[in-house]
Amino acid sequence: MQSINPLAYSYPDNYSYTLINKMKFQIKNIAAVLAATALFVSCSSDDDSKIVEGTTGDAELFFDNGVAGDALILGSSYKNSNNETLTINRLSYIISNVVFIKEDGSEFVYPKEESYFVISQEAGLFTVHLESIPAGDYKSVRLGLGVDKQRFLQGETAQQSFWDLASANNLTWTWSTGYKFINFEGTFTTASSFDAKPFQMHQGSNTATDNYREITLNLPTTARVRENEQPSIHIKTNANVFLDGNTKIRLQDNLDGSGNAAAIMGGQNLIDIAANSLTFFEVDHVHNGEGTHHE
Amino acid sequence: MRKIILMILSSIVLLSCSKEEEYREINENLVFNVPDNFPAMVQDLSLNPPTQKGFELGRRLFYDANLSADGTISCSFCHEQGYAFTHHGHSLSHGIRDQEGIRNAPAVQNLMFMGEYFYDGASDNIEMISIVHIHNPVEMDETLENIVLKLKSDKSYVEMFKKAFDGADITSGNVLKALGQFMTMMVSSNSRYDKYVRKEPGGNLSDQELQGMQLFAQKCASCHTTDLFTDNSFRNNGLPPNPLLNDFGREKVTGFDYDRYKFKVPSLRNAALTAPYMHDGRFGSLESVLNFYASGVKDSETLDPLLHQNGTLGITVSENEKAAIIAFIKTLTDDEFIKNPLFYYKT
Repeated sequence: MQSINPLAYSYPDNYSYTLINKMKFQIKNIAAVLAATALFVSCSSDDDSKIVEGTTGDAELFFDNGVAGDALILGSSYKNSNNETLTINRLSYIISNVVFIKEDGSEFVYPKEESYFVISQEAGLFTVHLESIPAGDYKSVRLGLGVDKQRFLQGETAQQSFWDLASANNLTWTWSTGYKFINFEGTFTTASSFDAKPFQMHQGSNTATDNYREITLNLPTTARVRENEQPSIHIKTNANVFLDGNTKIRLQDNLDGSGNAAAIMGGQNLIDIAANSLTFFEVDHVHNGEGTHHE
Repeated sequence: MRKIILMILSSIVLLSCSKEEEYREINENLVFNVPDNFPAMVQDLSLNPPTQKGFELGRRLFYDANLSADGTISCSFCHEQGYAFTHHGHSLSHGIRDQEGIRNAPAVQNLMFMGEYFYDGASDNIEMISIVHIHNPVEMDETLENIVLKLKSDKSYVEMFKKAFDGADITSGNVLKALGQFMTMMVSSNSRYDKYVRKEPGGNLSDQELQGMQLFAQKCASCHTTDLFTDNSFRNNGLPPNPLLNDFGREKVTGFDYDRYKFKVPSLRNAALTAPYMHDGRFGSLESVLNFYASGVKDSETLDPLLHQNGTLGITVSENEKAAIIAFIKTLTDDEFIKNPLFYYKT
């Protein structure tokens, strides 16, 4: 700052008026910019409440479901690059094992036994509310899509008696035992078949393949957790990637024996969907401060 | 050396013999024993360690027909103690409203030593097993949530859950945990064969049984391994598929066509009691089972290679050898297990 303070400059006598004037103008400009910057800095400085060691705060994850850039409206149709048009009637999924990560890489692992949540388009469940997170500035979050094997084997208590909630949202399997990580259903047509046929995509693990995945999401702005500040992390999802991601899965290729419906519930499809789902989430923005919730 | 020490079933007997009034208030942890001749446990005991009260509650639930939608079918309906907890007299197990399933109820025993359950491995968690039967429309056709509601209206159950789970309410999770604790303790390890290998009193085998044991080791033990008599794998043993059932077996769970017609290798413990045999209960006797392996194995893409060696399908076995093997299998019957009052609840 010192070096561009006008008072610190000495101008040669033979400088032309215009030049001097021009310089004055520049200096004025610089000063204005500086003032504005100082104002901005001090504003955000006021905003950037101190982290009080030992205190905790809340945070929430808000899931804004979409399909390839469009909003997800149940009952609406979406055409994908497999030349299939999906009318989506259900999108529900399990979020688990939330981890908050600071710039230095240190992590806060949300207590596992309280870390299972259902997001359901039809039930209007879009928000994951998290409590008692150490005050801090978090640069990324990691979350699980589904229920991890280790935790599943620990049984019901460890999963907060999660069964009832999952069951109420069509996210349990009962003919084999476990959870549907993603329940994605509706009807579809193809370029050659205009009769809408039902489709069901039930993503999960079975005793042969573990299809639980964890996904790290960088935050475009720091999420500030304070005693009186609750960041809301706005995550946009893209349900198109399940079948139309890196690996293409055509529903027409997955018709059941009757040929009247497509069912994707096992085998290689689940492994491919697990890989495709790595791009299902993207953080759009973070609201910081008090009372900036999505509900 | 085994870290897990003796499960002394007799100690439970002793405990339950002691004065009920004094004892009721204490919920003891039960001791789980890995029998000396068994392989290591597969399940993690610490995830749902059985307690006296949890075990008793699980036993009552196991025998309670209220777990089914219309109050007619209990777990014990298809898993009868006298037949090593299988469904006697039915090739395909029956369920609610006189419906029939597609499989023959397997024995409930030694579950802690298995990684996966059901003929197709539909579950790998002892606590979650019950979910399948409760929800299956042809078995109990009920939901866990509704079972909780029904149990809550019974004060004696409310009390039992409190005692079993440290004052906790009746929840879906605790129903599963209690059933899991009961089934955890269902260990069958005291057959005449066991006493023979552990050199305990009563462990005498006849010459024919000893011959059968040797033949078994040569001809059967590549799949029916260890003293559990199963390697817990899924294999296609060459049964011609029943076209009426069209049961794909393991493929139903995994979705991989290479798993078609594969079913879990069953333990042969108590096999003399668990007729009928195979996943669909098609064989009424052990003789028929051995006749099948001798001459009935059908080739297919997923047939287990062990049953198709040197151009021969099945297992080469003479009539005398069959008789000896069956005599040996009968030494695996564990009367102490099937008559143990601990596993019985008078309804």
